[in-house]
Amino acid sequence: MIERVVMIIFATFLLTVPWTVPALTNPFWVSVIAEILIWSLFATSTNLLFGYVGLLSFGQALFFGFGMYGVGIGVDQLGLSFWPAFGLGIVASMAMALVAGIFAVRLTWHYFAIITVVFSLIFYFLAVSMKWLTGGDDGINFPLPPTFSFGSTQWSFADSNFQYFFILATVALCFYLMYLVIGSPLGKAFTAVRENDVRASLIGLNVYLIRLTAFVMAGFLAGVSGALFAFFGRYASATYMFYNVSGEGLVWTIVGGAGTLFGPIVGTTLFILIREIVSTHWEHHSLIVGTMAILAVIFAPKGLVGLWQDGLDRVMAPRAKQRDSAEVRSES
Amino acid sequence: MSESILRTENLTKRFGGLTATDNLSLRFPGGRLQAVIGPNGAGKTTLFNLISGLLKPDSGRVYFRDRDITGLRPHEISRLGIKRTMQIKSVFNQISVTENLWITRQASQQFLHPFRPASRDHATRERVDQTLEQIGMTNLAHRIAGTLSYGDVAMLEIGMALISDPQLLLLDEPICGMSPAETERAVEKIRELARKVDIVIIEHDMEVVFGLSEDIIVLAQGAVLATGSPTEISSNERVREAYLGRPEDEDYLEEAVSA
Repeated sequence: MIERVVMIIFATFLLTVPWTVPALTNPFWVSVIAEILIWSLFATSTNLLFGYVGLLSFGQALFFGFGMYGVGIGVDQLGLSFWPAFGLGIVASMAMALVAGIFAVRLTWHYFAIITVVFSLIFYFLAVSMKWLTGGDDGINFPLPPTFSFGSTQWSFADSNFQYFFILATVALCFYLMYLVIGSPLGKAFTAVRENDVRASLIGLNVYLIRLTAFVMAGFLAGVSGALFAFFGRYASATYMFYNVSGEGLVWTIVGGAGTLFGPIVGTTLFILIREIVSTHWEHHSLIVGTMAILAVIFAPKGLVGLWQDGLDRVMAPRAKQRDSAEVRSES
Repeated sequence: MSESILRTENLTKRFGGLTATDNLSLRFPGGRLQAVIGPNGAGKTTLFNLISGLLKPDSGRVYFRDRDITGLRPHEISRLGIKRTMQIKSVFNQISVTENLWITRQASQQFLHPFRPASRDHATRERVDQTLEQIGMTNLAHRIAGTLSYGDVAMLEIGMALISDPQLLLLDEPICGMSPAETERAVEKIRELARKVDIVIIEHDMEVVFGLSEDIIVLAQGAVLATGSPTEISSNERVREAYLGRPEDEDYLEEAVSA
């Protein structure tokens, strides 16, 4: 009940942002919220791997970068229009995820984390050095193609309302897909692999193929967010392929709540707000981020969303005896 | 002897200098409940690991219904109908009992739909409820598996083996850690199961082994020491000497019973 009310308020807010936010404060916050949506989607790709399949990836920025460059190179060098460039970005990042995944998902835990960093670094340095293709350090600035055009009427990201709603719709669609996947038989298999991969193989699950599927799906989510970010910023740059971007996505996910659908939104919102508000007053705002990440890891393994759910459970069903705390840790 | 459901040929597995199974050729006829016993380090669990694909043999072959399954991966072997439980109980700890059974049932179907809600699968739902009843855990259905008592986890593992419609069930010390009441319930369950499924059981509790099984294979140091009916085995001098009769093993047995 309470959750439903919160969801309705949240959805109503998101749908009215272009009008309510300028009325209340500086209109510049509309684009901050659009940016938060994009990065939430990026954090979701980390969440799918870490929170649902148990793979700690430090390489999601690679696929974000491929999404960006797919759009940037598509528009600037191949002369593609909006949708083909968008598609190129997504396909490029999924293809990259497939190639990286074939090697990476053979490994788990620290070895998996290391190989994702290595892939990320290799392609970061390639992107920086291949100036003719990627623009090197400067990146690619490209003219914005219209998204839809009917005769003389055109909609493009130049219209800030259109830009906001296009981003909102795309991110919402991806979250809906994520919602479907985690409730599906495949999603249950993800959980099984996360919880106990030996047992998962003994009940007949192809653990390798399931991990690879998740990896490519995560590549899709990161690719869509990268492609959106390219259109949003009208440029593509190798900076966003560096692995510290992956690390940020991971911190947002963990603080918000890994293994929960909305955890990445909560975490991303919190940290981007901190960055936007605190950084103008105090240059060491990342100290806050670090402290919160440490506190979350120690005291709230399911992040802020997990705390919220526990709190709700306690309020709604104080005498439910069968309810177990979410803090049960596996022994193995 | 009737047609064998499972057969190993010259199965050898070494860990460094230790030979865990030594040129082991075994034949498990169908339709019987069979036990593999032997002192610690005899190679019993290694044998199960070789059969279920968790380990690859250094040499030798494994046949399931005359099909060579040597070197297949665990999920492929599982899909042929060989299911097993683990000596160190192994379930999905952070999800509920129901979800454990649910996932296991769906895993035995080949295609995992990525977008349809799992909860819409009524056939699986019914089967899960039925299995909960079978293993007597209906009232624990919503408990998180990691919070169950050791005996209940062991029972859940048996339930997970059950729900996947096995053809051959490998039980690795299924009653280890159970209370006497739980043991009785589990033994009853296993006996009931054995009417429908071929079962091979590793067990340290001699009372259970001799009460349950029709054939016993005694392993020692990776090789077969003796095979026969419970009566034959209990009167076999070599088995007595090597395994049953030694005082330190008796202590061990008592420990296993009371643990």
